[in-house]
Amino acid sequence: MKKELKVIGKPIPKHDANIRATGKAVYGHDIVMPDMLYGAILRTEHPSAIIESIDVSEAKKLAGVHCVITAEDVDVNNIGYKRDHPILKTGEANCTRDEIAAVAADTKEIAQQALKLIKVKYKVRKGIYDVQEALKKSAPQINKFISGKFENKNTAEIFHYEHGNLEEEKKRSKHIVTRKFTLPRMTHACMATSNITASFNLIDKKLLLYSSTQVPFLYQRDMAHALKMNPSDIRVIQPVIGGGFGSKLDMHPFEPICALLSIKTGKPVQILYTREEEFIASPIRQPMEIELTAGVDKAGNFTFREINIVKDNGAYTSWGATTPFVIMQAFSSLYKVNAVKFDAMAVYTNNVFAGSFRGYGNPQATFALERVIDLLADELGIDKAEIRLQNANRKGETTGQGLHFETCGLVECLENVISKSHYNKKKSINKEGRFKKGIGLASMLHVGGGAKIYRSDGCGTILKIDPYGYCTIITGSNEIGQGSETVLAMIASEELGIELKKIKVINTDTDVKPWDVGVHASRTSFVAGNSLLGAIKILKEKLNKKASALLKSGDSEFEYSDNKIISVKSNDSIALDKVVREMHFSEPNELAIADYFYEPSSKFQDKDFKGNVSGTYAFASQAIEVEVDTYTGNVKVLDVYVAQDVGRVLNPLLLDGQIEGGILQGVGYALTEELLMHEGKILNPNFHNYKMLTASDIPNIHFSPVETFDKEGPYGAKGVGEAPLIPTAAAIANAICNALDLEFLDLPITPEKVLKAISLRNTKNNSKINSHSL
Amino acid sequence: MEFNIVNPKTKSELLGAIRKENHFRFGAGCTDLLMELKKKPEKDLTVINLSFVKDPLFTGIKKSAKGLRFGAMFTAHKIVVNEEIKNKYHVLHEAAFNLASTQIRQVATLGGNLCTASPSGDMACALVALQAECELMNTSGKSRMVPINDFLIGVRKTALKKNEVLFGVAVPANKKTTTNIHSGFIKIGTRRSMECSVVSLSYHVQLDKNGIIIQAGIAIGASAPTIRFAESACEFLIGKKLKTISQEEKERFADKVLSYASPITDIRATAWYRKEVLYNISKSILE
Ligand SMILES: Cc1cc2nc3c(=O)[nH]c(=O)nc-3n(C[C@H](O)[C@H](O)[C@H](O)COP(=O)(O)OP(=O)(O)OC[C@H]3O[C@@H](n4cnc5c(N)ncnc54)[C@H](O)[C@@H]3O)c2cc1C
Repeated sequence: MKKELKVIGKPIPKHDANIRATGKAVYGHDIVMPDMLYGAILRTEHPSAIIESIDVSEAKKLAGVHCVITAEDVDVNNIGYKRDHPILKTGEANCTRDEIAAVAADTKEIAQQALKLIKVKYKVRKGIYDVQEALKKSAPQINKFISGKFENKNTAEIFHYEHGNLEEEKKRSKHIVTRKFTLPRMTHACMATSNITASFNLIDKKLLLYSSTQVPFLYQRDMAHALKMNPSDIRVIQPVIGGGFGSKLDMHPFEPICALLSIKTGKPVQILYTREEEFIASPIRQPMEIELTAGVDKAGNFTFREINIVKDNGAYTSWGATTPFVIMQAFSSLYKVNAVKFDAMAVYTNNVFAGSFRGYGNPQATFALERVIDLLADELGIDKAEIRLQNANRKGETTGQGLHFETCGLVECLENVISKSHYNKKKSINKEGRFKKGIGLASMLHVGGGAKIYRSDGCGTILKIDPYGYCTIITGSNEIGQGSETVLAMIASEELGIELKKIKVINTDTDVKPWDVGVHASRTSFVAGNSLLGAIKILKEKLNKKASALLKSGDSEFEYSDNKIISVKSNDSIALDKVVREMHFSEPNELAIADYFYEPSSKFQDKDFKGNVSGTYAFASQAIEVEVDTYTGNVKVLDVYVAQDVGRVLNPLLLDGQIEGGILQGVGYALTEELLMHEGKILNPNFHNYKMLTASDIPNIHFSPVETFDKEGPYGAKGVGEAPLIPTAAAIANAICNALDLEFLDLPITPEKVLKAISLRNTKNNSKINSHSL
Repeated sequence: MEFNIVNPKTKSELLGAIRKENHFRFGAGCTDLLMELKKKPEKDLTVINLSFVKDPLFTGIKKSAKGLRFGAMFTAHKIVVNEEIKNKYHVLHEAAFNLASTQIRQVATLGGNLCTASPSGDMACALVALQAECELMNTSGKSRMVPINDFLIGVRKTALKKNEVLFGVAVPANKKTTTNIHSGFIKIGTRRSMECSVVSLSYHVQLDKNGIIIQAGIAIGASAPTIRFAESACEFLIGKKLKTISQEEKERFADKVLSYASPITDIRATAWYRKEVLYNISKSILE
C-alpha cells in the first residue's frame, strides 16, 4: 500500500465539470430526433376507483395527435420487482399515479390538450390508505396480481431474520427499552425530471432508448420482458443524468409507455415529466413504522434487539420492498449484539409506492437504533459516547449475520467525532433560555464493496490504447453524477502513466459496453475500479513484452510514467505510443487491448439471510450540534462532525461532494422533507411546499476521512456514496432530544412538532413526553 | 400559458396601453404573475410589461424631508443594497433580504409584492409597519394617495381600479426626535431561502433620547386574510421605556398583537402553531 501515488488521492475536479457548469451537457431533455413526437400520460383522477369506461375518440380526432393508447391497445407484461404492476391500468385504479392512457402528438401542447379530451368514467371507491386497515380481514384485496404466497391478501413481502438466543439475552438484560418510530415519505427530487426518448425502427424492429436508468442491463431485460421483445433488440443509451439517488433503479411505467408510443407510430417519442409530475409519479423513500425493543446488560453491553417493521408498500411492489435486506444488517450488525429477531412486512395500500433511495432503508433503521441506544444509555446512567465505543464493531469481527469485517474503522470514527466536536463538554452545556443547544451522536454500517443480490455483482471492462497513446476505458459501470468516470480515469492515469486528458471513458451504451449490474449499493468505484485494475494488469503484460523486445534488454519489470514505459533495472525508456504502434503495425500485429470481468469475493446470503454479502463494509460516525429555538420550534443545525471509514481516499474533492450532499439530504430527512398525503393524493407536489433544503441551509461540515486500506478495494478504497446521509437524521434527533430533554419518535422533526412537544410539557409539567402523545 | 405582450417604454405609452387594452394584467418581475397564469390560464390575455418603462419616478428611489418615495418597479435587490433603508428602515431591509433567493430578488419588485396582495407578502408586511402610502395613477395621469391599509383589502384584492396602476410608494420619515430605532422583520418558515412566510412580524419602533418609545409600527403577515396593522399593540408601547418593559407588559403586548390574528390551518402549519409562534416572537421583540 505504501507505493507513492501520483494521481490517486489528489483533488481532481470531475472531468465534465466545465461542460455541466456551462450548460453544454446533453441531458435527456436536450435530445431532439428527426420527426420526434411528444408523449404525455393521463393519470387517474382518483387514487381508488373502478374504471367504467375510457373514451379516447375525441383525443384521436385532434389535429397533431398521432396515437392514443390504453391498456386495450397493447400486448405487454406487468412490470416491477414482483411483476404486480400493469403498465397501463384497466378495470380499476389503485394509486394516484395510475397511468390510464397515453398520447403521442406533434407538440407537448397538443399532447396535453389531447389528454383533456379523453373521457374516463370512474366509480370512486373509499380506498385504503392505512396499513392497519389494509391488514384487516374485511379489507378488499388491493393488488390483484400477487402470488398468494402470504396469509394476508394485502401482504406484499415479508422478511424474517434471527441470530442468538433472544430469551436468554432478555433475561440477562439490566434494562430494556421499547419504542415505535414513524418514518415519512421523502422523495428524491432530482434536478432533472424523469425523461425518456424512444425510437423504434419499423424496418429492423429494433428499439433505441435514451434513458436515465441507473441499471442499464437490468433495465434492458425488464423492458424486453414488459414489451415481449428480445433484450438484445433493445439498445439503451444513457444521456447525462441529472440525479439518481436510487430513483432510477426500478423501471417505471412511463418508460415502456414511451416505447409503446414509438412502436405504434414508428417515430421517435419523448416523454418529459413536469416538476409536478415528478413529485407525484416518481418514487419515494419507504414510509414505515419500526418497533424496536433492545436491551443492555449491567456492564453496558448490548444484549438483544427485537424488531417489527410494517412498511407501506403502496399499490405496487418496487425494489423498495426489498429494503429490509439492508435494514436487517443495521440491526443485526451495527455495534455488537448477541441476539436479534427481525420481522418486516410490506403491506399494499392505495398510497404511492416507494422505490429505492440512497441508504436503502438504512437511514430509517439507524434512526430507530441510535435513538434507542441513547435511551438505553440514559436508563443505565452511562455516557452515550462510552456505550457506543464499548459496543463498537472491531476489525476481524464476523457478526451474527455473517458479515465479515476484514477492516473496520468504527472505533476510530467514533473517537474522531467525539473528540473534534468536544462532545463530552457540549453534552451538558447550559440549557437555559430561549435558544437551547444540544449534541447528538450516531454511527452507521453499510455495504462498501457492492452487495450480492443479483446473480453477479460484477463489472466488465474493455481497455484499449490507441497508436497516439490515448487510452479508452469501456466500462460496464455508469455515471449518474457521482464522479466514477473521473475516478476510473485517475486509476488508468496512475497505472499507465498517461495524462488525464488523454483518457476517455465510454460507459453509456449497452450495445458497446460489457455487463455490469448497475449503480447502486455504493459499489461503482469499488467494483468498476477493481475491474479496471484487472484489465490494466492484462494489458500491461502485453505492453511489457513488446517494450522489452523493443528495448532489446530482456527486462521484465517496467514502470509507467509520463507517457513512457521505463525499465526498472536499466532505466531505459520508450514512448508508450511507440510501443502501441509497434504492436499494431508490425508483426505479429496485436491490438493494445484487454478485457476483464471482476466479481467481488462476496457471497449470496442463504435463505436465513446469513452470509458475507459485500466485498467490504463502510462505517461512519457523526456528531451533530443543534440549536433549538423554543419560541418557534426551529432547529438550526450548527456543526456536523463526520468521520467515515472510506478505506482510502481516491479523490478528496469528489469525496467531499458526496459527504456534503449526503448530509444536506440527511438534514432534510431529519427536519423538513415530507411528501404529504391525504387519502392517496399528494398535497405538496412542488418545491414551494416540499421543503427540500437549499445551499443556504448547509451547516458547517467538518469531515475527517478514516483510512483502513481494505485489501479488497481498489488501492484499499470502500464505497462511500450512501453513507453520509445514513446517520444524519439519527444524530440530529439525538441532539434535539439532548437540547430539550424531550423525545421525538417521528421524522421529520418540524418546528410545529417541536413547539407542540414543548408546550405540552409546559402544560403538563411532565418532563418525559413522547411525540406520539401529541 | 399563452398571452400577448405589450412593452410600453414611457409613462404615457403605459397609460395609453391601459386605456387601449381591455383584458390585461401588469407584469413587473413576473415572479408571481407567471405562477398564477400557469395555475389559472386566462384566455386572450395581454400582459402589459412594466419593465421597459423608463421613468425614474416609476423605477427609482427619492429621499426628501417627508421620507422615502419608491417607484413601484424598485426591486427587492435594490432595497437590500440601499444603506439608507438598512440604517433607517431596517424592517424593510430585512423583509427584502428574506424574500425568496438572490436570483428572484433581482427581478421581484416592491409594486408586485404589494399588488399581489398576498397575506404572506414580506415587503408588503414591512410597508404596513412603516405605514406607507400607495400612489395610484389613473390613465389621465392623475394620482391619488391611499394608505396601505386601505390599499390591501383582501386575499389578492387591492384598491386598484381597472384604469389605475400602482406608480409609487411613500414611506414617512422617522420622527425628528427619534434617536434610536428598533426595527426588524421576523420570518417564520423552515428553510432559509425560497420560503413563504408561515407567519411574519414587522416592527418599527422609534425611541427618543431617553429610550422612550415615541412611535411604533407593528404588522403581522400570514396570520389573517390581509396583512394587519396591530394598532392597539402600537399604542400600548407609546410612552414606555423599551429597556424596562416588564415581563407582564411583554405578555400583554403579545396578547394585543395576537388579537389581530385569525390564522388558518393549511399544509404548511396549523392555526395553533401560527398563533403560538406569533405570541412568542411578539414577546421576543421586547426582550
Ligand atoms: C420561488 C419564489 C419565491 C418567493 N418567495 C417570496 C418571499 O419569500 N416573500 C414574498 O413576499 N414573496 C415571495 N415570492 C413572491 C414574489 O416573488 C413577490 O411577491 C414579488 O415581490 C412579486 O414581484 P414581481 O415584480 O415579480 O410581481 P409580478 O409577478 O410581476 O406581479 C404580481 C402582481 O402584481 C401586479 N402588478 C405588478 N406591478 C404592478 C403595478 N405597478 N401596478 C399594478 N399592478 C401591478 C401584477 O399584475 C400581478 O398581479 C416568491 C415567488 C417565487 C416564484
